[in-house]
Amino acid sequence: MATIGHNNLNAKLVLLGDMGAGKSSLVLRFVKGQFLEFQESTIGAAFFSQTLAVNDATVKFEIWDTAGQERYHSLAPMYYRGAAAAIIVYDITTPDSFTRAKKWVQELQKQGNPNMVMALAGNKADLEDKRQVTADEARVYAEENGLFFMETSAKTAANVNDIFYEIAKRLPRAQPAQNPAGMVLVDRPAEGSRAAASCCS
Amino acid sequence: MYGAKGKIDLAFEYQSQVAVLRPSIHSRRANLTVKFQDLYGFTVEGNVDDVNVMNEVREKVRQQGRVWWALEASKGANWYLHTVIGQGNALKSSLKFSALANALTLKKIIRKGIPPVLRPKVWFSLSGAAKKKSTVPDSYYDDLTKAVEGKVTPATRQIDHDLPRTFPGHPWLDTPEGHAALRRVLVVYSFRDSDVGYCQGLNYVAALLLLVMKTEEEAFWMLAVLLENVLVSDCYTNNLSGCHVEQRVFKDLLSKKCPRIASHLESLEFDVSLVTTEWFLCLFSKSLPSETTLRVWDVIFYEGAQVMFNVALAIFKMKEDELLLTHHVGEVINILQRTTHHLFDPDDLLTVAFDKIGSMTTNTISKQRKKQEPEVMKELDERIRRLESFKMEDK
Ligand SMILES: Nc1nc2c(ncn2[C@@H]2O[C@H](COP(=O)(O)OP(=O)(O)OP(=O)(O)O)[C@@H](O)[C@H]2O)c(=O)[nH]1
Ligand SMILES: [Mg+2]
Repeated sequence: MATIGHNNLNAKLVLLGDMGAGKSSLVLRFVKGQFLEFQESTIGAAFFSQTLAVNDATVKFEIWDTAGQERYHSLAPMYYRGAAAAIIVYDITTPDSFTRAKKWVQELQKQGNPNMVMALAGNKADLEDKRQVTADEARVYAEENGLFFMETSAKTAANVNDIFYEIAKRLPRAQPAQNPAGMVLVDRPAEGSRAAASCCS
Repeated sequence: MYGAKGKIDLAFEYQSQVAVLRPSIHSRRANLTVKFQDLYGFTVEGNVDDVNVMNEVREKVRQQGRVWWALEASKGANWYLHTVIGQGNALKSSLKFSALANALTLKKIIRKGIPPVLRPKVWFSLSGAAKKKSTVPDSYYDDLTKAVEGKVTPATRQIDHDLPRTFPGHPWLDTPEGHAALRRVLVVYSFRDSDVGYCQGLNYVAALLLLVMKTEEEAFWMLAVLLENVLVSDCYTNNLSGCHVEQRVFKDLLSKKCPRIASHLESLEFDVSLVTTEWFLCLFSKSLPSETTLRVWDVIFYEGAQVMFNVALAIFKMKEDELLLTHHVGEVINILQRTTHHLFDPDDLLTVAFDKIGSMTTNTISKQRKKQEPEVMKELDERIRRLESFKMEDK
């Protein structure tokens, strides 16, 4: 597929969420197509990059996969500062991780970049028999807060590429002046009315 | 019983088991990536050059062993155990000349590396762990192990979660026996200091201590002396304030010692803490190859935590030319990661750390820390207050 050279976008993306929710696993699946039954716990944060082609643009994600333990919270601003997008991850088998996810959303809403594209990922969707957070509950929350929501599984790869792709589509594009005439631009989601897509159902 | 006294005779088994690696002519031609086990049983990936370097390092470790034995022969067995260096080399003038000479010799040969067989003994004594242990009854560790058995706390839950995620795939650490030993060390420590409890990062540090010390109990005391005496306080507590302090001190040092790198990275809006936080919290164990990490620890346990600044600065310094050519944050990180992962020869790093960076006394570093502390506290307090105010608004 041909990529148009002058329509490249760099986007800083940060993953936030409770320890063990599967942030690193989602990134590993997206970047390398792999899954490890036991993924090393992240300290501080780990960096990855991956490029996606979306319509006729390419988006290069610079991904910060952060550490989930509560006390690492004080390091987080360094990683989400200036981020264009965030994926807030929780584990559908642990309600606490959902509570933690909501706290992250709140913090980003107040402190993050106001145009940030936010996604909520209910991870470990393959563990249906251990589910403790319903998709409906999360979807309602996401809609109320202007995030888009997907249930993902780093293990089976379900929705993993999709969530990054969806983010890429929603990123505010560069200033129109820099774009060639006739370029199809993805609508920049308006503040406060970011339609929540329920892509997982 | 609790395995506390049981020897973990593994690290050295590897050394004898792992045959000297000879890159085949085919891999040489194709410049293939090969996987091999290092001195402490970790699987590493590298190219043919890396394999050669590893073989040289094995040979250097043997040579260094001979240096230590020769000194032992001339100065008497265990001479180094009685040689205490004052903080910041401030040796008392009353010290006898021979003691002074010994201290200097020791400092020099420790920077050249402690042979793996001597590491447990030398670390245990010179770090102050032996002294710490001697202040409590002999059965302290065993008693505490028994007392906390079966107890469930937030810390123990997090420890359990992290056991299989600590150096997965390691031939001993990633076995039921390895998990059980690491669990006991971390759990017992979490009860010893409930302010620290369990902080992610300590799992890697304790795991490596187990591999070196070979008994759980000694690994435990090494962890205790590290957190309570060697490192700045509050590196791992609550909001990691000690770690924030170290990061600020490091940034100041980078501007002083490597001004060109510092200003270039600033122009890229690259905050070095993005990368160095992990180095400091894991004492490099997640970034550097095992023998290189342990060579850094050799010096930390004798000279103090400020050594981490030398080492971190050296990593930047070694790649100065490359770093100055970067245009993007991602490139900077790739250079640093590639560099740390391939530092198989500890001397490459430590020569720069001590000869090119120049000395930084414990004194200057403590002054720096004192200066940063109030600012860190202020910043963390403000953050907490801001977060609290969100909660109020939402009610
Ligand atoms: N079944 C299942 N397990 C998963 C999935 N994603 C992650 N895991 C497992 O959950 C554990 C934690 O995953 P990580 O990706 O390390 O979690 P993290 O959020 O990065 O954790 P921290 O680095 O500690 O903050 C690992 O053992 C993974 O194998 C998933 O989609 N399904
Ligand atoms: Mg992680």
